[in-house]
Parts: sequence; C-alpha cells; structure tokens
Amino acid sequence: MSRLARDAGLLLLVAAVAVSVTLAWRHWTSPAIVDAAKQLQSRERLAVLPDGSYDNQPLDHPLPTPAAQRPTSRILAAYRAELAGTPVAIIVVTQTQGYAGPIVLSIAIATDGRLIGSQVVEQQESPGLGARLGDPQVNWLQQFANRHLSNHWALRRDHGDFDQLSGATVTSRAVISALQEALSYFDEQRSVLLEGSPHE
Amino acid sequence: MNRLHLLGASLVPLLGATRTLSEGAIIGACAVLMGGLHQLLLAPLRHRLASWAFTLASLLLLAALASCLQLALRAWLLPLAVALGHYPALLCLQCLASEHLLPNHGRWRLLARYLAAVLGACLLLGASRQWLGEVAGLHLASLAPGALILLGLLLALYNRLRTGPAHPRRQGTR
Repeated sequence: MSRLARDAGLLLLVAAVAVSVTLAWRHWTSPAIVDAAKQLQSRERLAVLPDGSYDNQPLDHPLPTPAAQRPTSRILAAYRAELAGTPVAIIVVTQTQGYAGPIVLSIAIATDGRLIGSQVVEQQESPGLGARLGDPQVNWLQQFANRHLSNHWALRRDHGDFDQLSGATVTSRAVISALQEALSYFDEQRSVLLEGSPHE
Repeated sequence: MNRLHLLGASLVPLLGATRTLSEGAIIGACAVLMGGLHQLLLAPLRHRLASWAFTLASLLLLAALASCLQLALRAWLLPLAVALGHYPALLCLQCLASEHLLPNHGRWRLLARYLAAVLGACLLLGASRQWLGEVAGLHLASLAPGALILLGLLLALYNRLRTGPAHPRRQGTR
C-alpha cells in the first residue's frame, strides 16, 4: 500500500512540475510569439509590393471594407500603401475556397486598377499539384501581373487568357475568380479605398 | 531489439519534415533535444516508480517537452515552425519508441549513436532533397514519396560504401 502511495505521490509531483514548467514557458514565450506572428503576417501580406515603393506602414491602418462578400470570395482586409502621402497601391487580402480548403491571397492593385502582383498567404492544396500555386519556381501567379479587369479572366480551356496550374483546375479557377473579384471590388469601392480615412 | 527498429521509429519526421536543409537541420536538432532530454529526465525515475506510473510519468514529461518545443519554435523560428507543421509534436512517438526499445545495458551509448544517426540522416536527406528539388529540378524529391525512395537509395549507398565486414543480412544475395 505504501508503495502505491509513494508511486502516486511521485507521479503527482512529476505532473505538477511538468504542467507548471509548461505554463511558465508559455507565459515567457507568448510576447515573442505574438511579435513573430505579426512580423510574419506583415511580411506575407506586403511581399506583393516591391521594397521602396511605399513609405508608410500599411498594416497599421486597415481600410473599411463594405460589401466584403463577393460571389466566390470574401475580402478579409484592405490596406493602402502610400509614397510621400499619395496612394500608390491598395493591398486586398481575399479568401476563396480552393480544392482542399480556403486559400488566402494578398493582392496589390495600382491606383489605375492594374494588378501589380499577388501572393499566397495561406493554402492547404494538394502537395505537388495545387500547392505549387505559391512555388517560386513555377511562378504561376506572375502571369496575372499588369492585367486589368478588361482581360478575359478565365483559363484558356474556358476561353480565357490564362494558363492553368497543371493538374489543379479547381485551384486555378478559384484563384482566377478571386483575383477578378478583387479587381472589380477595387473598381466598385474605389473612392472608399483611395480617399476614405483609415480606421484609427 | 536492434538499431534498425530504432531508426524506423523516427521515419515519420525523417520523411515528412526534411524538405530543405534548414528544415532537416531543425527537425534533427529537435529530435536530439527531445530524445536526450526525455531520457535524461526519466533516468532518476526509472527505479523509483512502478511500471504503470513510469509510463504515465514518461507521457507527462513528453507532453510538456513537446509543448515547450512547439512554443519555442513558434517564438523564435516562426516561418520554419509553420513549414514543419505538426512534425515536431510527432517526435513524441519516436521518444516513446526509443524508451521502449533501448536495452537496459549500454543504454546511453546506444541512445547517443541513435540520435547522431537521426541527426545525420535528417541533414543528409534535407541537403539532398533541397539540391534535387531546386538545382536538379527533380520535383518528386520535395514530396514525401520521393523522400522515401531517396532514403532507400541513401541506405543502399551506405551499405555499399560501408567499410568492414557487413552483417550477412545486409549483404543481399548474389
């Protein structure tokens, strides 16, 4: 009996030490984790703009996004990049449904409605197929740079202007319609995005 | 029990989390850290606890170690932590298996050799997968099935180049 009690006591001690060390560690690392998450987010979202093309901190002042729900995607956030006080680009973060899960894209749109570039922030597509979306070697998103709303936003097989990502038709279609919807959103909300005062 | 069982226990992180050299280095370092600390913390408890309580204590310590490791990775190496996903937590399985498989006699020496082998394999696999994927343009190498094939080829190469008499089981038949 005393053996059992001793085992249980020692086990309880181990459990208490394990839990308290974990909690203390969590408490100690949480500021660093918050910081790192913020940094990663801003790097991912702002990677669409070339360095030096803006001089403000776009992520500190999110813009209002009325009517964020689009037919196949949802605008999560919009930011305004400025150079010397004049807007140079709007960054739209949009989420659409891919093949395996949601795809979050960060899209930079110039003030004349031209798409500057786009970047994958989050995706869960099939490895080797849809997941090559953000692969710098394939560079599939590059073909959309400098396109306007007036282009045919569809895959070539759907009589559009764009190549598809091989083996990933669903992903390609989802991304193309998300890009098109982001451009039309910019067109619609132009005045709000370019002139509206940011949330403080 | 032999060393092959031990290496087999670490197959999952070895294949899943070695896409690039940096990923391989981090997962290898994590494996060494987790395996070493787990055994080190269990050593004083081994003869003081009955086997049921010892198993429970081992699980508790592993849970704590894995949580701390995951938190540390997120705090200081967030981009890599995102790329590694749940693989650092899966290192627990490997620690449990090694706890079970390591013999009582010559335990530490074997553990050290095993952890060194895991670290070496992670580094080698990471380096060769990154090279094959990025320089040679062999896309298969960056996927998990390609990693399994590559690991098999590397093992075959190791057996071929190994100096000294090989165990008869490893020689194959001619």
